[in-house]
Amino acid sequence: MDFDPQAEAQLSAGIPDPGFPPDPRGVSSEGRGPWFLAYRRFLRNRVAVAFLGVFVLIVIFVLAAPLWAEHVAQSGPNQTHTLEKITVNGKKREVVTPEGEPIGPQWFGAGGKFFLGADSRLGRDEMVRLMYGGRTSLLIGIGSALVTMVVGIVLGLLAGYFRGWIDTVIARTLDVLWSLPVFLVGLALGVSLAIGGLKLGPIELSGGSLWIPVLVITIFTVPYVARPIRGEVLALSEKEFVEAAIAQGASPLRVMFGEILPNLASTIIVFSTLTIANNMLFEAGLSFLGAGVQPPNSSWGTMITVGEELLNTQPLLAIIPGVMILLTVLSLNIVGDGLRDALDPRAKVRLEVHAGMVAPEGEAV
Amino acid sequence: MKKFLLAATVIGLAAVSSLALVACGGGASSAGGGKEGGTLNITYGSSPDYMDPQLSYTAEGWTAMGEVYIPLLTYKHASGTEGSEVVPGLAKEMPKISNGAKTYTLFLRPGLKYSNGKPVKASDFTYAVERLFKTNSGGSPFYTTIVGAEKFATTKKGGIPGIKTNDKTGEIAITLTKPRGTFTNELGLMFVAPVPAGTPNEDLSAHPPPGTGPYMITKSQPGRGWEYERNPYWAKDNAKAMPEYPSGHVDKAKVTVVRNKQTQINDVEQGKYDWMQNPIPPGSYHQVKDKYEGRQFRVESTISTYYFWMNTTIPPFNNLKVRQAVNYALDSAALERIYAGQIKGTQQILPPGMPGYQKFELYPHNIAKAKAMIKEVHPSHTSITVWTDSETENKEAGEYYEGVLKELGFNTKLKVINPDNYFTVIGNKSTPELDTGWSDWFEDYPHPNDFFQPMLAGESILRTNNGNFANIDEPALNKEIAQLGEEQLGPKQKTAYAALDKKFMKLAPWAPYGTRTLDTFVSSAINLEGVIFNPTFNQYLTSFEFK
Repeated sequence: MDFDPQAEAQLSAGIPDPGFPPDPRGVSSEGRGPWFLAYRRFLRNRVAVAFLGVFVLIVIFVLAAPLWAEHVAQSGPNQTHTLEKITVNGKKREVVTPEGEPIGPQWFGAGGKFFLGADSRLGRDEMVRLMYGGRTSLLIGIGSALVTMVVGIVLGLLAGYFRGWIDTVIARTLDVLWSLPVFLVGLALGVSLAIGGLKLGPIELSGGSLWIPVLVITIFTVPYVARPIRGEVLALSEKEFVEAAIAQGASPLRVMFGEILPNLASTIIVFSTLTIANNMLFEAGLSFLGAGVQPPNSSWGTMITVGEELLNTQPLLAIIPGVMILLTVLSLNIVGDGLRDALDPRAKVRLEVHAGMVAPEGEAV
Repeated sequence: MKKFLLAATVIGLAAVSSLALVACGGGASSAGGGKEGGTLNITYGSSPDYMDPQLSYTAEGWTAMGEVYIPLLTYKHASGTEGSEVVPGLAKEMPKISNGAKTYTLFLRPGLKYSNGKPVKASDFTYAVERLFKTNSGGSPFYTTIVGAEKFATTKKGGIPGIKTNDKTGEIAITLTKPRGTFTNELGLMFVAPVPAGTPNEDLSAHPPPGTGPYMITKSQPGRGWEYERNPYWAKDNAKAMPEYPSGHVDKAKVTVVRNKQTQINDVEQGKYDWMQNPIPPGSYHQVKDKYEGRQFRVESTISTYYFWMNTTIPPFNNLKVRQAVNYALDSAALERIYAGQIKGTQQILPPGMPGYQKFELYPHNIAKAKAMIKEVHPSHTSITVWTDSETENKEAGEYYEGVLKELGFNTKLKVINPDNYFTVIGNKSTPELDTGWSDWFEDYPHPNDFFQPMLAGESILRTNNGNFANIDEPALNKEIAQLGEEQLGPKQKTAYAALDKKFMKLAPWAPYGTRTLDTFVSSAINLEGVIFNPTFNQYLTSFEFK
């Protein structure tokens, strides 16, 4: 998206945005900057604001993990309690029965211990694992999205600005990555790296490192960011302000990062939220299949795997982490949509195309 | 070395289409009161390692091919201890042992034919043994005592002079370099089941070679399933030559690999499949047991040991006190729960049911003592990698074990490997950080040497396909294993094996924690009483019949 001076002038002059009705509170847009206007547009989108609240609550929930673990559950996320007994409403109960049946949700019957029950025959506190697992899932989702965005933006800028052989090499490499069966290759890569770790010059990652899933996810999601960015850069490079900068003797780096990149800001913000959501889903899938987060650590994906086996007797063990993934991804997607509408109301088509993981309309390939 | 390869837990990808046939064709009643004929629909949780008699070395493979490839000797078609008896298979009678217990002479039964109609010749036995070495089978070590076999294993040329055969008389004379008390048992393994001369020396899992048993494999799709039909030459020729061998009840059998165990259970309950070969997962075990025991479900005892090995050659496990402390720290009661009662706690190498087993418990659970021992030793190297496979209960056992090591003060890291290649990975000495991990062991044959020679003898330490994960190499105990291995098993030897068990456990290369039960789960259409569970081959296909 580029900042069309005419559109900005319209907005700054208080002319109603064609994509939205005028502010019902009658607050004037006169003299306001584009970011303030976008912020106001976003606030007008009640659904997006509500889901932003949901996402913030989820973040608070997972950040509170150590507090809950220490003061309420009195158990670490990987601590096993197979042979222990707890007092529930004055009665002693086994955490895992001799038949291997883990205790179900106790809510506050045991003072908050085993609030959601035990996770498996190992008798670990499901609530504590859910909170710590959420940290892992979010960390991987956000971490891999950050790396994806940085790599994707740099590649997109280089390919779109320089064109020629640089574009060919980058675009074709992205094409190759795009053509791979993402999940199958990710699964294979995840499994092999989880066993052997990674040694790449000074970089050394052990098999259980969270950077492994981050790396695997990044490799396969970069094309989904770099390709549309490249398309935007191709279009922006033709604009007069870029030509003006070049005419003034600006270096390519300055043009790319000083002129073009700021015009990509809103796209990047929107892409970031969607990428976090997509990457969290990818992580959940990889972990579910054993190629993501490695035991004994939990993520919401691994928790579904553990719960799946007990689906008949303890369905909540699989349902709760599933619902957490659903809520997080849904909230990020809706916030992302809200941001898109707020930042660039005319770019609906372009981003909807991205969400469907196909080449954006009008993009030069 | 036979490990139990359970179904991989790649649940969710189980898109194997089911074969919706509950075919129980009519026909005459069998002696057991069931019907003859019909198609048995079976589900396996994973494909066997190989569908090739010379190569397969898992319980799944042996169960799948037990009624297709008959060796010269075989195991009695019976459950429990009776099923441990070695009886003549393709051989007329048990071998005549001479030359100071170094020569075994057998005679092939006359008139035997393969499922392709070719006659079975005595020299086919030589061909099978040579094929075993040429394909680098995991079963090769059982037969290297044959004169010239060791050289043949390396050169793959020049034949094995220790095997002399006469196709006219059917005589097979096998000469060993030294006596081997377990050789009769080893002649009963599928590794040396005759196959027609000229069978390609490569993995034939997709096109299994002709066999001599009552059933033949007509179609095999590794990873998906396989099918059986009656061997047309069984009734005509082989059954007459070996009348004591069961002919089976069903006409056909169709195996489908279904990786999702819950789907398997549901399908057996609904009669879509007649038998689920792999055991019920712990999460559903008691539900199924309570609902179907006696009618469609039966618990089967096995002769097996589940254990954690500790690499005795590297710190911290090169310290005896550390290994003993780990044994004190482990609580088999917790592991019994993790396996939902499907294991029974033990603390020794030999499992109940194995000749020579004498119960003892050197390391009663005492975490305080274990911690004190570690404190006393104060190991300088505290970073440990713990290995296990991703099979639900083994993974949980590994997680539990890792937690115990953490409690003892070690920095631990857990590596969970797909069960399909777990033993290949930990059996390869170039794999880094092989500190400690999970393993199991199911008997190859009912002889205690099978629990010492492959896993605890120094000579079993190999660069690849290593079975001695603890890398223990105690000269005095090696000598004892070798000596006992040369003797025929009698009361004196059984006592010696019991003592050997204790000697090893004093050195604590392992932390054994249990012996496993398996199960038979069939549909309501099957006569459960008739199903035989053999300690070596598990369920025999010939024993399944429709009600």
